[in-house]
This record gives sequence, C-alpha cells and structure tokens, in this order.
Amino acid sequence: METVIKDYISRELVRDPALLPVADETSLLESGILDSLSLLQLVVFLEGRFGITVGDADLLPENFATVNTICAYLRTREPATQAAHG
Amino acid sequence: MAYLLQRLLTEAATRQPHRAAIASGDSVMTYEELDRLSNKVARALLRMGVASGDRVGILAPKSAASVIGLYGVLKAGACYVPLDPKAPLQRLRYVVRDSAATVIVADETRAAQAAELIEGAEQPGGVVVATTVTAESAEPMPERGIETDLAYILYTSGSTGTPKGVMISHRNSLAFVEWAAAAAGLSEEDRVCSPAPLHFDLSVFDIFSTCLAGACLAVVPDGVATFPVTIAQWLEKERISVWYSVPSVLTLLGCYGSLPKFDLSHLRTVIFAGEVFPPKYLARLMAEMPHPRYFNWYGPTETNVCTAFEVPKRRDGGEPVPIGKACANTEVFAVTSEGGLVSQPGEVGELYVRGPSLMRGYWGLPAKTGEVLVPHPFRAEYDELVYRTGDLVTVEADGNYRYVGRRDAMVKIRGYRVELGEVEAALYRHPAVREAVVVPVRDELLGSRLRAVITAVDGVRLTRESVLAHCRQWLPGYMVPEIVEFREGLPRTSTGKVDRAGLAQDQQGSDPQTSGLTSVSR
Repeated sequence: METVIKDYISRELVRDPALLPVADETSLLESGILDSLSLLQLVVFLEGRFGITVGDADLLPENFATVNTICAYLRTREPATQAAHG
Repeated sequence: MAYLLQRLLTEAATRQPHRAAIASGDSVMTYEELDRLSNKVARALLRMGVASGDRVGILAPKSAASVIGLYGVLKAGACYVPLDPKAPLQRLRYVVRDSAATVIVADETRAAQAAELIEGAEQPGGVVVATTVTAESAEPMPERGIETDLAYILYTSGSTGTPKGVMISHRNSLAFVEWAAAAAGLSEEDRVCSPAPLHFDLSVFDIFSTCLAGACLAVVPDGVATFPVTIAQWLEKERISVWYSVPSVLTLLGCYGSLPKFDLSHLRTVIFAGEVFPPKYLARLMAEMPHPRYFNWYGPTETNVCTAFEVPKRRDGGEPVPIGKACANTEVFAVTSEGGLVSQPGEVGELYVRGPSLMRGYWGLPAKTGEVLVPHPFRAEYDELVYRTGDLVTVEADGNYRYVGRRDAMVKIRGYRVELGEVEAALYRHPAVREAVVVPVRDELLGSRLRAVITAVDGVRLTRESVLAHCRQWLPGYMVPEIVEFREGLPRTSTGKVDRAGLAQDQQGSDPQTSGLTSVSR
C-alpha cells in the first residue's frame, strides 16, 4: 500500500524533483507537495484505488501528513481496503 | 473624492483610527498603525532615492508587512510590483529586471532573498524590511502623485515566452475598487477575506475595497487553505462575512468542507472570479450553504472586473452561470468575426470593454499594447481606446453575457492565466527538447491541467524528472505541466502544423485510473 501511494504521489503530484524520492516519512504538507487541489487528486485516487470513501471529517492534516499516516488512516477503513488490494 | 489609492487609508485612519485594518493569526493591526507604519516605509524609500513613478518590488505573501509595504510605496509616489514569493528565482529576476525596480520591500524572512534579487541593480538599490523601519517619522506624508500615475504593475503570462506587466493607474484601480465596495455592500463591520496572493488581481478587492469601507482584511494563515474543513473552521472562528476567490477553492469547500457542521452565519457574500465555476459544484456549494449571496465577477487583469452577475437562489446544475452585465461606469459589447455587433442570442463574438478601469498598457511593450487597446470599432467621431479581451461570449435575451471560450491559446489553471506558448518556450530552453507542445486537459473538478508532449533530440533519453526540474527553474508551479509525455514525433495536420486539436482530443498516455479525474465520488 505504501509503495502504491508513493508511486502515485511521485508520478502525479510532485512537480519539484528536488522533493524526490518521496519517503514514508516525508512531510507532504510542509514540503508543499499537497495543496488544496493535489490533496483532492490524491483523495480521488485513494477512493478509486482502494474502494473507500474518504469522509469530509477525515480530510484532516493528521491523516495526510505523510505516506505513513495516510496508510494508517486507510487501515482504519479495513473492510474496504481488503476488498480492493492488488 | 479619493483619486489616489493611499487616500483610502489616510481617510480610514482619520475616521476610525482604532478599528482593525488587518487581522492575521492572533495579531490585529489598526488603521492608525497601518497608516503610521506605511508613512515610515514611504520616508525610508524616499531617503533611498526612490522617485515618483519608480517601480518598487514587494516580496512577501499577503500579510500586515506586505500591506504596510505597498501603502508605503504608494505614499512615496512610486508604483508597486508584487513578486510572488513562490515563483522561481529566474522568473523573479526577470520581473525585477523588466520593471527596472531598484528597491524591494520585503518581510523579515525574505530580506536576504530580496537583496539577492536586487543585486547588480542600478542606483538607488536596496531592500526595506516593512516592519522594522524605526528611524523615520510616522507623521502624515505630503500627498504625492496624480490619478493617472501608475499604482501597480501585475505580471501575467505572456504568449511569447516571458511574462508581461499590466500597468494599472490609481484611476484604473479606483474605478474598480469603488464599484466593488458598493457592489459587495461593504461596511466597517465586514471581515473580508481572499486567499489570492498579491500578484493576482483578485487581491485588489480585499486590500483596497476593504480599506475604502473601513472593514477588516483577514489573512488566511499558512496551511489553513489546504484542507477544506480547516478553511470552514477558520471561516467560523474569524466570523468572515465576505469571501472572494477562484471557484476551485469553493468547489472543495462545497464538496469536502462539512459546511452544515459549522456556524457560518456571518458569511453573507461569496464572490468568485477567474474561471468558470462548474455548475454542478456551484449547485452543491449553494445547497450546502444556502444563506449567502453569490456573485460571479468577470474581467481580465487588464480591465479589472468589468461584468458581474448575482447567482439566483434557485438554479439547476445545467449551464455555467453568465458573466452578467457591465459594472457601473463600464461598457461592454461583443464583436462577431465579421465585425458586426452581437445583439441576438446565439451570436458569438469577442468581448470588448471600455471605461476608466482599463489598464494603461503593458509595461515596455507598446506593440503588444496596441494589439489589445484598439480604437473603438463603432465610433469614428473621436479617439477612444477599448480593450479586446480575447474572450468569446454570447448575449442572452435579458442582456447578460455568457462566456463561451477563448480566441487564442490561453488557459486558466487554478484561476491563473497561462499562455501555452510561455510554457512551450520554457520547454524549448531545455537543450534536449527538440519539439514541445502543451495542451490543456479538461478536468471537471480541477479545471484545466497541462499536458506536455515532447520529442527529444536524437540519441537523448529525457525523463519526466529532468523536464520538471528544468520547468521549475523558469515557471511558477501552476504553469509546470503535470502530465509529461514523450513521443518519437508529433502528429501533423495536412498543412504540416502540429495537430494541437488532435493532441488535445487524444488522451493516450494518461492512465484513466490516475489521471481521469472526472467527478467527486459522492
């Protein structure tokens, strides 16, 4: 899951190669990788890829700070993530 | 009557010295403080040798420091040039050199960067840190300048590869500022917010119209704007009453802001401008938050806002809302490709604007200015220049204009104007790029995204990383293509030109799962 998300972020969202490679603990907010629109792109990707719905109330800095926090958040939404692995 | 922008501040400071002018985080600056601190900056600039009409850069995000700075510049009789702190150094250098700015006003954290930018500039040369001028007097400044003097130059994307500076005089700006304050019904009770940075013309409203009304400008803190829910929390906490932004931020708020959970009863007016608001997301926003009045304002930087439309409460998600009718003291009309006046629904023409808000021209580009500021096509009795917007419109039976598209290769990315030619010119600077074409990819939720299709010189293998790294040196983030595609050759039309229309249609190379953002999933 970490790899899939890192690949997506590296390929689609990072526009400054100085920020590559994206690591599990790279700060996505302070680095400016995520702004309001790239965050939304990421959410739409996660929803499509893992078959989940990200609730408004989950769209918070603590869930999207790093690749690790995103994965931790996705694991709290277990049933859906298991259904859409691979 | 105010005919200089800085008079808005001196009058507000006299009328209501202790009311809040700027709220930023936990700190509040009163009108008296703003007025006195900007007097100090003005005197510091004069002491450095800044003369009437000189250009002075402003290197700071929207903040108390930058507003003090720009009023200081105006009070010194000079013209301010916003420098986007997020833009790459090469672009900032170009703007500084092109505008011949020899002094930059910066905030404390950017003083060193400002000094680097000004290096090698002619006399007087130097950096003023807006908040730390202590040696100068804060007493009122003698008024300098007349209304036809330049107040600011806003740099916008240029089709030939370099940005062009839109020159706005005090009169041009005030024509908009006075109309806008009245149209939004601003009063001293209002708390006004726009996330637009200083180099974006939307900021003219929250800086100057707010000041005219003696209202409070609220600065969106760093980081708040990323998450829709944190924006909504902030709007509630700050009791924002008037919001002005591009549609994309409002789309996110409507879809992900959990708006009904917050007390946004103070928010009485929502204004959007800069690009088309996708109807379905506007309907969604208005359903989530039905109580404010919603306005669509339209106008290129060259004209300030020239038309406006109030969105009716009940509307279906069908067509985009019209751009509306001309603002007070402004006239618009549309000219068909045959040169006739658009008068019937169904006819398409290019929108022309006349009025006191039109720019003075492009800085140092008289030929370019002459292409857009042209003699009135239907009036021969006396000379008057009107502005050709390049925007194609239709007119409704009720007199409202509707935007239908562009005459040329300009697109909007997050509300910013992007000339595809400028992006292509940056790509061509890469030594390994043989040919480059940039086409917009429509995205219903995010507006346009940029896709670059590139062929490399023989024997060189280009990577997305190297292309992006190169673009970052020359272009601000919103102009860097998100999708980079390499090909052996570019498709051609029968006349041998690159087939742009074909490339724009062709979605090859973009993975539908990752790039096909079409809608919010609920």
